[in-house]
Amino acid sequence: MGHKELMVGNKAVAYGAKLSRVEVISAYPITPQTTIVQYLAEFIAKGELDAKFIEVESEMSAQLSVQGASFAGARAFTATSGPGLLYMHHPMMGCQLPVVMAVVHRSNKSMQADHTDLLAQRDTGWIQLYCENNQEVLDTCMMAYKIAEDERVYLPVALGLDGYILSYTAEPVEIPDQEEVDGFLPPYKAMTAIDPSIPYEEWVLNVSRYYGSQESWYEHHRNMLNAMEVIEEADREFSEVFGRSYGGLLEEYNCDGAEAVIVAMGTIASTARPVIDELREEGKDVGLVKLKTFRPFPAEKFRQLAEKYDAFGVIDRNLSIGSGGVVLGEVRNALYSTKDKPAVIGFHAGLAGKEVRPEDVRRMAEKTLRAAQEDVEPSVTWI
Amino acid sequence: MSRAIPIGKIDAQEIMRSGTLSCQGCGHAILARLVFKAFGPRTVYATVPGCIWITLVRYIPLYWRGTVFEGGAALLSGITNGLQAKGIEDMNVVGLIGDGGTVDIGLQGLSAAAERNEDIFWVCADNNAYMNTGGQRSGSTPKYAQTTTTPVGKMSRGKRTRQKNVPLILAAHNVPYVGTASLAYPGDLIGKIEYAKRLKGFKYLHVQSPCPTGWGFDTSKTIQIARLMVQCGLWPLYEITEGNKFRLTVKPRELRPVTEALDHQRRYRHLTDEETAEIQTTVTNRWLQLTELDGKKLPF
Repeated sequence: MGHKELMVGNKAVAYGAKLSRVEVISAYPITPQTTIVQYLAEFIAKGELDAKFIEVESEMSAQLSVQGASFAGARAFTATSGPGLLYMHHPMMGCQLPVVMAVVHRSNKSMQADHTDLLAQRDTGWIQLYCENNQEVLDTCMMAYKIAEDERVYLPVALGLDGYILSYTAEPVEIPDQEEVDGFLPPYKAMTAIDPSIPYEEWVLNVSRYYGSQESWYEHHRNMLNAMEVIEEADREFSEVFGRSYGGLLEEYNCDGAEAVIVAMGTIASTARPVIDELREEGKDVGLVKLKTFRPFPAEKFRQLAEKYDAFGVIDRNLSIGSGGVVLGEVRNALYSTKDKPAVIGFHAGLAGKEVRPEDVRRMAEKTLRAAQEDVEPSVTWI
Repeated sequence: MSRAIPIGKIDAQEIMRSGTLSCQGCGHAILARLVFKAFGPRTVYATVPGCIWITLVRYIPLYWRGTVFEGGAALLSGITNGLQAKGIEDMNVVGLIGDGGTVDIGLQGLSAAAERNEDIFWVCADNNAYMNTGGQRSGSTPKYAQTTTTPVGKMSRGKRTRQKNVPLILAAHNVPYVGTASLAYPGDLIGKIEYAKRLKGFKYLHVQSPCPTGWGFDTSKTIQIARLMVQCGLWPLYEITEGNKFRLTVKPRELRPVTEALDHQRRYRHLTDEETAEIQTTVTNRWLQLTELDGKKLPF
């Protein structure tokens, strides 16, 4: 059994990486991510973690050096925030190496959180997992390696935690024992590993089979779709070992018999839980869908949800300027082909770190419930 | 310090496959062949887009990875740290990167890798411009050279400024090895790699690679041009060992006039007598300074 400690989200990330036995770490300071790598540097300095630490001069180099390490056969970890993530965009695009990166969400219009930073990396081909509390942050680190390194997937994973709200807020977190983690997460076996016993002709097929062809995109996409199953498996296995589950792709919370659901990612889901409990006690049939996995997008799951719920209220802590909520667009896209289309309305909340209070969630949930009965205008609201 | 290997004694294993996608007379093809003879098969290499990528990939059958234009040094840093983490210490981790990926877009990461003294060997294949995209000027294009973005016309005399001196920039990082090399002096080139590849830490070799297509000379003259560039003092061959010990490795008894090298190259055919004289003065003065420094320690 592990033990409990009071810790901030950034420390939970660092423990997650340490327990995953990362071998190479590289990162560049940026608020509010910086303390993650400080904690990791301390673990190394104290001899608690045997890993190489590359003190790079930029996020772009952080991203590339973890890719180099992963390519060479070492489990690699990096972390960044908003503007740093945007600087990594070029080498992130199309990367097919199982590196894991923590993204401490930071808006580009304030230093506080919104998800526009990671959602702007939507099409780079990275798996994206969003966390709502510090325990989930620590646990998602370990699951992320399990998912990334699975040979059906073999893709990078970004896990998101809301800047300040989690990064610098302390919560009790259970730190599992290393032996338990080792049982869950076997050592990394790189498909590209530099191994003189493998003939070059065989090795080169592992690293660039389809480069230069449309098939290379297809292969990346296929692996991303494979990740849906692998994410669900990893969550089940995690729950068997550690007794905690995060729903894999998504979680339905207090949804039994609900007419309508709100959809939230990150800490808004955490704020929403007690609000939903209250509403249900008041006899209002509205539940919560916590979307953990944004990429791959669980469209089929949403189609299944559409058989049960008549209205979806999607809360977007992000903005695609000139279009609207990124998650709203994805949900509508997924549900367009369903026979009895549910109502899908949207909310922008919490952008640039604006506080999302329980009463805000209540407003959004009540409006969504109304949408199950009647047309509501406007269909997108800024909270 | 390095020792030049007599050309007749270069009997190392041939790594490069026959055939090449490079232009006829391309310096890079010769460079790749020589460089990998010196490194041998226990090598992993990285490259970034450019003529050198085209020269290497499929023709150098060794572990390799390509990456984004600006990313050579960070990728190599990751590879060397990853190998160390896995207990593999006896492989050469080599970057073969053009002048764009070295002196321009890649310089930030390169400087950082040098400052961290990463255990990598960087070979800059310098053809003096962005030749793979059609010969645009780079930070390594010499003054007055015509390129497709520094065309000669009523208002332009070719490139306005001098070549960025990246070997000395790297040397100022006080790294274990910095050298320059020429395709016309293969013994010197291979001797430098043979010596430096055994050193731990950051190694840098800047090789001038004449480009018949971009410089405008006959494809049979690549080696001849490379030799004239050295003998005229336009491309001095030296090395800096132990962080600051400077040594000229090839010392022509007397420099030939720069016109002997420049006259073969279409990129310089617009030069006036005054411009040629300016280049000659620059080269002569630099050569005097370098001979002054020969055998001494640089203030790094």
